[in-house]
Amino acid sequence: MDLLANLALGLATAATAQNLFYCFVGVFLGTFIGVLPGVGPLAAVAMLLPVSFYLPPETALVMLAGVYYGAEYGGSIASILLNIPGTPSASVTCLDGYPMAQQGRAGVALFSTAIASMFGAMFGVVVMVLLAPRLAEFALLFQPAEYFSVMVLGLVAASVVSSSGAVRGLMMVCLGVLLGTIGVDVNSGETRFTGGIQELRDGVSLVVVAMGLFGISEVMVSLRGATQSYAGAGLTGRLLPTRSEWLRSIMPAIRGSVVGSFFGTLPGTGQTVASFVGYALEKRINRNSAEFGKGAIEGVVVPESANNAAAQTAFIPTLTLGIPGSTTMALMLGALMIHGITPGPRLIADHPELFWGLVVSFIFGNIFLLILNIPLIGIWVRLLRVPHYYLYPTVIVLICVGVFGISNSLTDVWATLIFGVIGYVLRLFRFEPAPMLIGFVLGPMMEEYFRRAMLLSRGDPTIFISRPGSAALLAVAAFLLAATILPWKQWVFRGMSVVRNSASNK
Amino acid sequence: MRRLISHLGPIIMLMAGLGFAIGAATSLELGSFRRMGPGAFPLLVGGVLGLLALIALIENLRMPMNVENVDPWAVLGVVGGVSAFAFLTPLMGVLPATAIAVFATGSVIPEFRWPYRIALSLGVSIAVWLIFVLGLGIPFVAIRGL
Repeated sequence: MDLLANLALGLATAATAQNLFYCFVGVFLGTFIGVLPGVGPLAAVAMLLPVSFYLPPETALVMLAGVYYGAEYGGSIASILLNIPGTPSASVTCLDGYPMAQQGRAGVALFSTAIASMFGAMFGVVVMVLLAPRLAEFALLFQPAEYFSVMVLGLVAASVVSSSGAVRGLMMVCLGVLLGTIGVDVNSGETRFTGGIQELRDGVSLVVVAMGLFGISEVMVSLRGATQSYAGAGLTGRLLPTRSEWLRSIMPAIRGSVVGSFFGTLPGTGQTVASFVGYALEKRINRNSAEFGKGAIEGVVVPESANNAAAQTAFIPTLTLGIPGSTTMALMLGALMIHGITPGPRLIADHPELFWGLVVSFIFGNIFLLILNIPLIGIWVRLLRVPHYYLYPTVIVLICVGVFGISNSLTDVWATLIFGVIGYVLRLFRFEPAPMLIGFVLGPMMEEYFRRAMLLSRGDPTIFISRPGSAALLAVAAFLLAATILPWKQWVFRGMSVVRNSASNK
Repeated sequence: MRRLISHLGPIIMLMAGLGFAIGAATSLELGSFRRMGPGAFPLLVGGVLGLLALIALIENLRMPMNVENVDPWAVLGVVGGVSAFAFLTPLMGVLPATAIAVFATGSVIPEFRWPYRIALSLGVSIAVWLIFVLGLGIPFVAIRGL
């Protein structure tokens, strides 16, 4: 009964004309940037931050979230037609989607990815509705030590999936945390690391960091890159899958959604891991696994249901624990904090309209996405034919106007450029800037909880391992680190070769 | 030479970590374990960063990680575009600055011919006016002297 009342509240929030409009804007932009390879949802959310400051918090969140999950729909279009994933999580879709397109079944592939995406997303929303309030209730038992440890876990999880390796990922996290300490310390009122510059007293602005690290440096990387646009025949042949294709897709869609919901809820993993694991699992258990990679419909249904389920369930840790499931989520948390809303277990209780409104907006957003991706699919196919170089200069200027628009200060525009150059240099040295942003957002909260926990324990640092909850969280973090950093594979191979050598010597 | 450049990444990180740690230890109060001062947390995190950077440096000495190639034209295009915007906005207003910035950034893309660049510059300026000035009502000086 309680659930119905909450959903009614959500419906009342989400169904206003303003929120429906911004939900549509969000999913439309999400699909747009998802379709175009090169610019990801992260850059798009960063660019929309300034706009979101002019909106009420729930409207802002509805729009930013729309960009996030909308990109998962759009990402598969370029995968299928061009064999280039529009978003990283759609790279698995290339494996079977592109062969389907080459066989003249592009229409079927696009139709079934849209349906599978919708199915996965709705599955994720149901999981979120059932799980999030429980998890938040449980998390209310947390004390500062647990908060600190859960943040450590989130940061470790975010850095181990970084493509340049866990050590480098962790370094970026630390750098982000240190960047977050610049400015006035809230406990003592002392300024830290400002070098006497007045503008730095309030700390470095999230918008400046995000737009510089992701917007500007991403454009520097792809500005003069290969701009391949789609030259194929477009949508020929039928759109609707056959009866047997429908039947073959049902179980894979369910399995994909389950895998996706699991990895989405786990902080730090997210859509890409979900789609890879979903595909690998399906290939093991599916009867038609011999067809995988040659244009099997299951090969597009599974990753798409998995990554969309993960895109929705990634909101669970973000909104119940305040631990962003991904970098884009960290930005959304940042946006909430700027609106004066503290993320954490109290969010659902303190701002029910925000949480339930967002949940209901997911349903509307996915219906919009289905309309955008089935009847209007032709628009996106045509968009792929437009040369990409129109996009990049536009992005640069929108960043400038956005930064200037919120602060009315050109100093911030220069600062954004500096962070853009820093981000570019980091990328040259194979340091991925994404974990840095998560560190930057979580850093100040982490310090706060660390200091509070130490105060409560009267200066005894063992509090982090003597409290069972905190110890368990840190153990999971340590396990994750050990599993990725230590060269298990080499040891196994070395061990095997030693055994083989000693066997052959006998 | 490329190997040496490749080691530069972890070395910069090492210096950043040490910089924050030393800065915190020398100029900020560390406090006690029980009541930590403003310097304690940066000292801790800076130390961790330094340690990780050392590990990465050793890793890199054994097996250097490839450094990506710089594209000076792309950097120039982006820096030029943003600088044009920041310089010209106080002089001419947001919309002319927008148009020139778009044109400048577009100029480094070889396939992007100038008539299309002009068209894009005008289009983006109009879009900025529609979205930011009309739509969101941000008080920009759209065109100075108008």
